[in-house]
Amino acid sequence: MANPIISIKQVYKNYGYKEVLKNINLDIDAGQVIGYIGPNGAGKSTTVKILCGLISDYDGTVLVNGINLKENPIAVKKMIGYVPELAELYDVLTPLEFLGLMANLYEIDEAIATERIHKMMQAFGLSDNINQRMDTFSKGMKQKVLISSGLLHNPEIIILDEPLSGLDANSVIIVKELINRLAKEGKTIFYCSHMMDVVEKVSDRIILINNGEVIADGSFHELQSQQGNKSLEKIFAQLTAQEALSDTADQLIKAFDN
Amino acid sequence: MINRFFIKMALLPTAFYRKIGVNSLQLKAILSAKLVMDDRRPASIQYARKKKTDKPVSGASWGTIIASAFLGLLFLFAFLVTDNSLTQFTIYFSFYIFILAATLITDFTSVLIDIRDNYIILPKPVNDKTVLLSRLLHIAIHCTKVILPLTLSGLIMVGVKYGLLATLVLFFLFLPATLFTIFLINSIYVLVLKLTTPEKFKNLISSFQIFFSVGIYAAYQVIPRLMGNAFFEKYTIPKNIYSLLIPSCWFAGAWKFLTSPSGDWYFISAFILSIVMPILSILIVIKYFAPSFNRKLALISGSEQAPVVKQSKKTYIPHSWVYRLAAWVTKTSVEKAGFLQTWFMTGRSRDFKMKIYPGFGYLAVLIFLTIFRSKKDRFTNIDLKNTGSILLILSLIYFVSFAIMQVLAQLSFSDKYKASWIYYTTPVRMPGELISGSVKAAICKFYLPIAIIITLAGLVFVGPGIIPNLLLGISNQLLVSFTIAYIGYREFPFSQMETGKRKGGTFIKGLISLFIPFLLAFLHYMIFKFTVPVFILLALSIIANWLVAGSIAQRGWKYFNGKYRED
Repeated sequence: MANPIISIKQVYKNYGYKEVLKNINLDIDAGQVIGYIGPNGAGKSTTVKILCGLISDYDGTVLVNGINLKENPIAVKKMIGYVPELAELYDVLTPLEFLGLMANLYEIDEAIATERIHKMMQAFGLSDNINQRMDTFSKGMKQKVLISSGLLHNPEIIILDEPLSGLDANSVIIVKELINRLAKEGKTIFYCSHMMDVVEKVSDRIILINNGEVIADGSFHELQSQQGNKSLEKIFAQLTAQEALSDTADQLIKAFDN
Repeated sequence: MINRFFIKMALLPTAFYRKIGVNSLQLKAILSAKLVMDDRRPASIQYARKKKTDKPVSGASWGTIIASAFLGLLFLFAFLVTDNSLTQFTIYFSFYIFILAATLITDFTSVLIDIRDNYIILPKPVNDKTVLLSRLLHIAIHCTKVILPLTLSGLIMVGVKYGLLATLVLFFLFLPATLFTIFLINSIYVLVLKLTTPEKFKNLISSFQIFFSVGIYAAYQVIPRLMGNAFFEKYTIPKNIYSLLIPSCWFAGAWKFLTSPSGDWYFISAFILSIVMPILSILIVIKYFAPSFNRKLALISGSEQAPVVKQSKKTYIPHSWVYRLAAWVTKTSVEKAGFLQTWFMTGRSRDFKMKIYPGFGYLAVLIFLTIFRSKKDRFTNIDLKNTGSILLILSLIYFVSFAIMQVLAQLSFSDKYKASWIYYTTPVRMPGELISGSVKAAICKFYLPIAIIITLAGLVFVGPGIIPNLLLGISNQLLVSFTIAYIGYREFPFSQMETGKRKGGTFIKGLISLFIPFLLAFLHYMIFKFTVPVFILLALSIIANWLVAGSIAQRGWKYFNGKYRED
């Protein structure tokens, strides 16, 4: 097999005394859809932020297409498209202005970028909103702009952090289909989500992280054969919950006993 | 602490509340929560000058009280400018109604148009009467916090001037005057909400706040100068039917009538109007305004409104001249990105405008007064050999530095600082280019218009002889901007949360920043009269500009303090 497109070796990251990532090792092949899952605070976001350049003070090695992220972050960032969680954007700008800003930062030729922006906005049904400030947009509309901003420079690797949040059912179908198509084109997709049913369906390989460590890694079928023939939701619970979740519900119900 | 007292006072007639069907437990809960929230929200009177600290805001009530007391001093002007008591009180009540309306609108709009009520209170089993009463009491408490200190100085003044009875009468007249003001505010709300969307309304309010604070500043500067002005000393309010159309005349007339009762038709009708009109207006508010206002509020949060689609051709690019300007003054696409972003954000971010525009307003007032105060002939025959004229010209040219400095100091801050992930995830080789683009945008947007005005004014008032010196001044001004940016602008545009904690060495940097314009102005002053040195210095200044701007753009990642902040 060819060299992995992303190779994470012995990566550690601390916030003060708190170890967020403890010796993460991953090799990811090109063209795969990786479902990256884990409970809140497991280190998921931290991994993603290291990969896309938001966090630079980590220990260990991250190679992207053979290039060391620490030594040549610019070259790595060119290959990666990032769609952040929670619609953090300068929403007083219009989509055209915001995406134009992103295009300039990626140094895409202006004419090409403008055409792409228009095509993408049209595909997402936002053509009529292209010159409106995003502060009036719904969460889903903002998310569509963010997805476009991550794909604008046609990156080899696409990192999606909860990309479906705020999208309506039809848009969810579009994005899932988009993920499949991008994977077929040979793009590598790093997909972080809490929505187990989606991860189960779109991912070629699922990586489960808990307390800063990888605790499960494999295709959905491999996980099923290890953990029993259950849904991903059940497997997730089995591997990450300290106590049975039904106990929690039980305690909640008992709170009414007064 | 002060709030606990207010709640106790507001809840005194609990039995009565129960009788009219209000749930007093719920009322207390809602009211306490609202007052606690008020206390943690800085009042807008202080907003323009507010320095954010890491400490969460608390005890904002005291801020409101002190600021109101300060504003109240302004009203005393009414008693100093004229001897006619009807005129005095008309002016006084005009001030009172205007200032009260202005503070309540700026301060309280976010509270009244708090759509969270719709999510939090309306789905709970709380009846309409309780909600309505809690809102009314909330407004009443807030008004009390503003009104008592606002009127304190006036009450004392009137007590000294006219005696205790006069003070008491004035005190009671504040009640109808306040009711009438509330009617005015409500009319404004209803009108504005009919015309525009709540989001636009908030923007409108913040523009209003800026005008308000600049207006107050101008008033403090101008009013003392008006005293002793012959026109004002002679002017009195005429006692005729037309002056009775002015609301503040009702209250002034009522004061006259109550302190020295007489059969004068004017004072009697003023007194009747002062009682009847406020009651009538409040009835209108309760009957017509409140229901439509509540409906409108319910509509606001009804659903996420899809923005109204404006029909536009796809090839149409708004602000295309800005893009052309950007292409013209920037070299790389990253620099252009910095330019465009700063240009658009500074024009639209409410936060930024609130911090910058009052400063510009104060400066404009100051410059205006400088020009006004200096004898008129000084401007019509400016003599380039005269030290006074030279100093005036130089101070006009170099004063602007401070406005530019303020803009530069704010560029890295934004309440959307989390959106700055875009700089870190994109392959930006030279982050300095972003900064230099941003600085260029700030200069083009905030300084060039001023420079053009100064140049035109120079040509009109002085003639072409001023041009070399003007060019030097403007070039130096650019140099000041670039140098300050070089020293202090080390974070990405709009990437930092504003905190009180400044990074080390900021004080020294600030001192240096202040020193630069003074130094350049001094150098300029020394050679002002000699054309050849002016040209030499101009050449040097242009080269320096080019060098400093270039070295800002050349800065790599290691020069940047800023890390992506998520907290």
